[in-house]
Amino acid sequence: MELELDSKAPTERTAPSAAWNTASRVLKYSVVRLVSLFVTVVIGIYLTIMIANMGGYVDKMMIAEIQERVTVQVAKNPANKTMDPATKARITEVQIQNEIKRLKLDQPLAVRTTRFLKNALTLNLGRAMFLTSDSGSRSIRAIILERIPYTLLLMGTSELILFFSTLYLALALSRSYGSFWDKLVIALSPTSAVPPWFFGIFLILIFAAALRLLPFGGVIDAPVPQDFSARALSVLKHLILPASALIISSFFLSIYNWRTFFLIYSSEDYVEMAKAKGLPSRDVESRYILRPTLPTIITSFALLLIGLWTGAIITETVFQWPGLGRTTYKAIGLYDTPVIVGTTIIYAYLLAITVFLLDFIYALVDPRVKIGSGESPQ
Amino acid sequence: MKRNTLMLLMSMVMIVSLVLTACQQPPAPPAVPTAAPAEPTAAPAEPTAVPEPTEVVEPTPEPVTRHGGWFDEVVFSAVDAASAVTQITSNAIDIYASGVASDKLPEIEKAGLPRASSNGLYYELTFNPVGPVFESTGKVNPFNDARAREAMNWLIDRDYINREVYNGGALSKFFSIVTQFPDYATNAQVVRTLESKYAYDLEKAEKQMDEVMLGIDGVTKEGGKYMYKGEQVPIILLIRPDSDGTRKPIGDYVADQLESIGFATDRQYKTASEASPIWVGGNPADGLFHIYTGAWSATIIDRDEGDNFQFFDTPQSEYGFSALWQAFNPTQAYMDLADKLAYNRFSTREERNQAMAEMLEMAMTESIHVWLIDGKNYVPYKEGLDVTYDLAAGVDGSQIWPVTLRWADKEGGQLRWAATDVYVDPWNPLAGSNWAFDASIQRATRGSGYMIDPYTGLLWPNRIERAEITAEKGLPIGKTLDWISLDFADEIKVPEDAIVDWDAANQKFITAAEKFPEGTTAKIKSVVYYPKSLWTDVKYHDGSPITLADFIYSWIVSIDAGKEESKIYDASIAENVAAVLENYKGFKIVSEDPLVIEAYSDAYEIDAELDITTMWPEAPYGEMPWPTTAIAALVDEEGNGAFSADKADTNSSDTKTVEWLNYIGGPSLDLMSEALDKAIEEKYVPYANAMSAYLTPDEAVARYEAVKAFKEKYGHFWIGSGPYLLKEVHLTEKVGTLASNPDYADLSDRWSMFGLPKIAEVEVEGEGSVVLGGEFSFDVNVSFEGEPYPADEISRVFGLLTDATGNVIASIPAELVEDGHYVITVPADLAATMEAGAAKIEAVVVPLPVAIPTFASFEFVTIK
Repeated sequence: MELELDSKAPTERTAPSAAWNTASRVLKYSVVRLVSLFVTVVIGIYLTIMIANMGGYVDKMMIAEIQERVTVQVAKNPANKTMDPATKARITEVQIQNEIKRLKLDQPLAVRTTRFLKNALTLNLGRAMFLTSDSGSRSIRAIILERIPYTLLLMGTSELILFFSTLYLALALSRSYGSFWDKLVIALSPTSAVPPWFFGIFLILIFAAALRLLPFGGVIDAPVPQDFSARALSVLKHLILPASALIISSFFLSIYNWRTFFLIYSSEDYVEMAKAKGLPSRDVESRYILRPTLPTIITSFALLLIGLWTGAIITETVFQWPGLGRTTYKAIGLYDTPVIVGTTIIYAYLLAITVFLLDFIYALVDPRVKIGSGESPQ
Repeated sequence: MKRNTLMLLMSMVMIVSLVLTACQQPPAPPAVPTAAPAEPTAAPAEPTAVPEPTEVVEPTPEPVTRHGGWFDEVVFSAVDAASAVTQITSNAIDIYASGVASDKLPEIEKAGLPRASSNGLYYELTFNPVGPVFESTGKVNPFNDARAREAMNWLIDRDYINREVYNGGALSKFFSIVTQFPDYATNAQVVRTLESKYAYDLEKAEKQMDEVMLGIDGVTKEGGKYMYKGEQVPIILLIRPDSDGTRKPIGDYVADQLESIGFATDRQYKTASEASPIWVGGNPADGLFHIYTGAWSATIIDRDEGDNFQFFDTPQSEYGFSALWQAFNPTQAYMDLADKLAYNRFSTREERNQAMAEMLEMAMTESIHVWLIDGKNYVPYKEGLDVTYDLAAGVDGSQIWPVTLRWADKEGGQLRWAATDVYVDPWNPLAGSNWAFDASIQRATRGSGYMIDPYTGLLWPNRIERAEITAEKGLPIGKTLDWISLDFADEIKVPEDAIVDWDAANQKFITAAEKFPEGTTAKIKSVVYYPKSLWTDVKYHDGSPITLADFIYSWIVSIDAGKEESKIYDASIAENVAAVLENYKGFKIVSEDPLVIEAYSDAYEIDAELDITTMWPEAPYGEMPWPTTAIAALVDEEGNGAFSADKADTNSSDTKTVEWLNYIGGPSLDLMSEALDKAIEEKYVPYANAMSAYLTPDEAVARYEAVKAFKEKYGHFWIGSGPYLLKEVHLTEKVGTLASNPDYADLSDRWSMFGLPKIAEVEVEGEGSVVLGGEFSFDVNVSFEGEPYPADEISRVFGLLTDATGNVIASIPAELVEDGHYVITVPADLAATMEAGAAKIEAVVVPLPVAIPTFASFEFVTIK
């Protein structure tokens, strides 16, 4: 880790050489950092490919499944009823071979995994083996792009509400340590052990089945409303329960975490000093508590943003929400390696870029942080 | 302090309630029965197990004038099966067309919802036949011996499985043929006898298993346990916990039963993909499993299941590539008979039925598989809906639903149709989505030459008027319905000008004279007569009337796609085309107006109704008006799209994506629109060399313009001539709307005769005790909805007589007294041979309007 805290003043350097040194240091740091992140991504993606293929065992599973599936399809197809068994057996064999060839299972694993890796790194997402996009395309780009809006809508709404509301409430609670509300949050924080889909089922039972106020699932009314505003309202109506499930499941624990975090900073000497000096509590919060905690908050927020990409697999399933989480889950179930790799590489790149950018953001928000100084923290 | 305590209590209560709720036990798997039932419980479900009849469609006071579907709109969407019943009771949907498994039956009943039913999966045990000792592992495998497999029939209580796992909503199953369907009914005496013979009997199972096990070198039985080389003999069960989840309790139950007679068990729970490489893809000699919990499906009323035995039990099966099937070792006689049944090598139906009876008996002795349960699916729907459903395929798998499903006594309105999924794969008629969820919606948009009888599986004329079938003498073919004629001829010569094949390179038809210069014959000649109004009354959804060009194009493109010289050649279609052409002997347009088509073939089914060739412009996955397919074919020719997934994938590369053609969405729409504009500009006539005789360039442009206008209005290219048209498509949202087609040729009530399955209700009456020595008789009352069942709608009524030994000793034909009243008389000489004690007469009524027979029994006492 090259992040350093630099408390020394540049007393002996001239301005141009200091700027040059800084630029050179930042550039060097950036190159090294980018290379190391890229290597990490390559290793991570190749591991994903190998895991998705179970080191090659998936080939065996897929071939056996193809044999089973194609045989039943040919034999039990009513259209083939008048076909004699020998002809059906011949068609079966040809179709099995076609399918094996189509999925390129006749190629060595090393060749395929290398191709997957190369395509992934160049963001040439390619084609799915089994999945199709909702519009019927095998293009992984289409599969992902179709699901992204709904994933971002659900995850973005719930996570942003969750993040800002819990942050705000936590800060407020940190000021009233030991109060009724503080204790209530502590008492309720174990509810976050319950996964969101579990809350989802309860919400469906209450608001859809019993009260009939909100829909059971899906993303829009059927039939789909004709005008835009009615459609938007319909989507919002469908969003309420899944978003609520996601929010409720993490709400109290998130407040508890942030509140504990802020409490630690609230008890620093300089905060006590500020309070003793009689500064207004708003100033104490913004200058003495929030400011030093900004890198952590920003990190958390940045990771939250890229986390939106992954969707919420089971919650999406419970609510029949057409998000990316369900697609990934389906791809895993089908051993559809290109789709798994496609979603993973985008996440990996987003993560790498975020980590890289965070280094700079830390330096911007915290004057003590200096990029790539190579000196020990003070 | 009080507040703290309150908070503590509150949080504790909340945590405990959440934990308790989360830890709620799933329904317990069935425990092993502790004692054998006193009586064998092998009988399949009584008539009450057949589907619930729907309400009768009352005749409307005024003649129906409405055309098209009964609903103004059908709104369909994807809904999870788990919430289906709740959603109906909450008025969120009207019908869950995909159906739910029988574990949901109590929930449906509790909610008081009406339901339709269909075949679900059917379940079995597949045995590893290698042994008696696996050389690779040194472990014992008794299932190498047919007697051990046979013993498994007695070891397993099928009724128990039905009760505990399927809530009594399924049927016990002893054979690979579907319980209660045509072959079962035809061979009722044999199957009932065998079911009685192989009823649950733990002692008998253990005794026979002892004989097998103790006959294996080195196996002993110590303290009730089979021992081999110092350890208890283990049986490895590959149990599937996935799919519908019911194979897990079945597998556990079978394992428990095996343990109860002395085996150890190794229960390996593996999903489909984990188990496949072992049981079907692996080598059974590796000894990695003894028993696999299998499941299959039958989604049509299969009127000839003779090929099942070869398929399931012999190395000649389509599964012959699998080492497991190659290891199956039935007797030569078994394989010969299975082969005869598979190829229907019989001269008469009687001969075939006799062979089937023998086969059923041999199948139980061999028990290559032990069949357990015929599952059922249930389709819950809202009160007030009239639902006609196929006895095998249910609602969504039936062809009939779009023309019968309606609100009782109401025209119009909206139906909210829910299914497990929709738009699973791209829609195109040649090689598009074959998912049941998609096909059910497509059927509503689709016209067809015939209508499949939902209760018998036979065909009725839909767009055709009548048909004549001529069969080669000596084929076991019969007919049931009057709209078709059947005769036999010594030889059926194919006319020289019949069109037999397609020359893709030169874009021309190949006649019989060209393909068979020496002349050729066919086994079947089908002559189909269309009504004169066909060309005026039947219109596609874009307003264009159907033409002969649609018929001809549809035939050409279906063959062309399988020809290597074709611009749209598709390797995945080729083998099917080659197989069809092997038995195809040609067609001839005898008359264009009215349309009469002769067709010749060597392929046949034993029901003449199923041997017609309509040549309706359709393909396996949709109706096929020529313009939409022609423009899709242009996209295919240009290499931007492909009808099949295989071709699309094969022709795609890292730099180029070839789209799997989708008529209803995605990038295909733009590609097809471009091709459409080009076709209009060039006045494109597809396969002009052959099609010009049926289509002028101006006619072609008019059809293209109609398609273009349709696309602009509805946003897709899915055009059919069915009772509904696809009005809205929302792919990602999994929602869509069908609108009634007001230009549909038929009145909405055309198929109202299929209001409900006419399953016979049967009662048997007689003396409670009879003295053996003289003749005695029983009255059999057959009715439907309280009215006597007309005798001319009954195929057979007979009685199966069981004496005190528990064996079926005779099958006695019943005599008709009057409609709905029959008498079964046991003659004195037969009575004299009976053992005294508790006896039973079981009346079997086989009606014509439904494929399901009704069984009703009467128990009495015989005294010497």
